[in-house]
Amino acid sequence: MDLLKSMKISSSGLAANRKRIEAISSNIANAQTTRTAEGGPYRRKEVAFGSEPARDNFADVLEGEIDAHAQKVHATEVVSTNEPPILKYDPTHPDANADGYVAMPNINVMKEMADMISAQRAYEANISAINTSKSMAMKALEIGR
Amino acid sequence: MNVNDKTLQALASGMKFREMRQEMISSNVANAETPGYKAKRLDFEKALARALDVDGQMGMKVEDGQHYDVGNGGFENLEPEVYEDPNGVVNESGNTVNREDEMARMAQNKIMYDALVQLTNKKLGMKKYILNSER
Repeated sequence: MDLLKSMKISSSGLAANRKRIEAISSNIANAQTTRTAEGGPYRRKEVAFGSEPARDNFADVLEGEIDAHAQKVHATEVVSTNEPPILKYDPTHPDANADGYVAMPNINVMKEMADMISAQRAYEANISAINTSKSMAMKALEIGR
Repeated sequence: MNVNDKTLQALASGMKFREMRQEMISSNVANAETPGYKAKRLDFEKALARALDVDGQMGMKVEDGQHYDVGNGGFENLEPEVYEDPNGVVNESGNTVNREDEMARMAQNKIMYDALVQLTNKKLGMKKYILNSER
C-alpha cells in the first residue's frame, strides 16, 4: 500500500537525520579531545547521505517503474574528515609537543550547533510527513461509514 | 443502477494517485539534503481527464472503416507521469528540493485526498439511500 510506503520513506529520513545528530553530538562532545584510539586529536565526523529506491521486498521490485521514483534516504557512511588539527600554544598541556603547541580538533562549535538545528528541522519535516500520511490512511478508513 | 459507475472509479483512481503523490513528496522531504537528488513531481490530472473524457473531446474517434476503436483508455491503464521538477533551484550540493514548497504541496494533497474520501462517502450514501427507498 502506498501510504505505508510513504511512512517507510519518511522514517528512513528520520533515521538518517538521527545519525547526523549523533555525529554532531560526538563532534561537540569531543571539541577538546586530544587523545583518541587511533592516535592524535579527535577528527570531525560527518555523515554522508545517499538515496536508494524505496523497495524492500521482491514484490516491490516487480511492481514496476513508477515506484522506482520514490526514494528512501540513508546515511551511507560516517566519515572522519581530514581537516588538519589546529595548533594551539599551551605549554602546560600534557599533550603539548616540544615547542609547547597542542594539536586540537578542528571543530567550530558554532557551526556544529547550526548543523544540529538544521538536522532537527529536517527531522521535524519528516515527522510531519509521517503525520500527514497517517491521517490520510485514517481518513481512508472512513470510507463507507 | 450501475453499482460501479464512472464517478466511483474516478474517485478511486484520484485517491490512488494522491497516495502516490504523497509517497513522492515524502521521498522529496526525506532526500532534502541528499547530494544530487532532484525534486520529483507526479502528474496524473491529464491522464485522469483523458480517462474521464467528460466532453467527449479527449478520446480517439472512429471515422473510417479502417480505423480501430481504441476507446478512451479507461481507468485500468492509467499511468501517471513522473518527472524531475524543471523549476527547481539547484543548491551547492546539486539538490533541487525546496522543503517549504514540499510541505505546502503535501498539505494541499492531503486536503484534496480528504475531499475525495468525503465525496466517495456522499456517493455511497446516495446509493445506500436508493437501496433503502423501497422500504
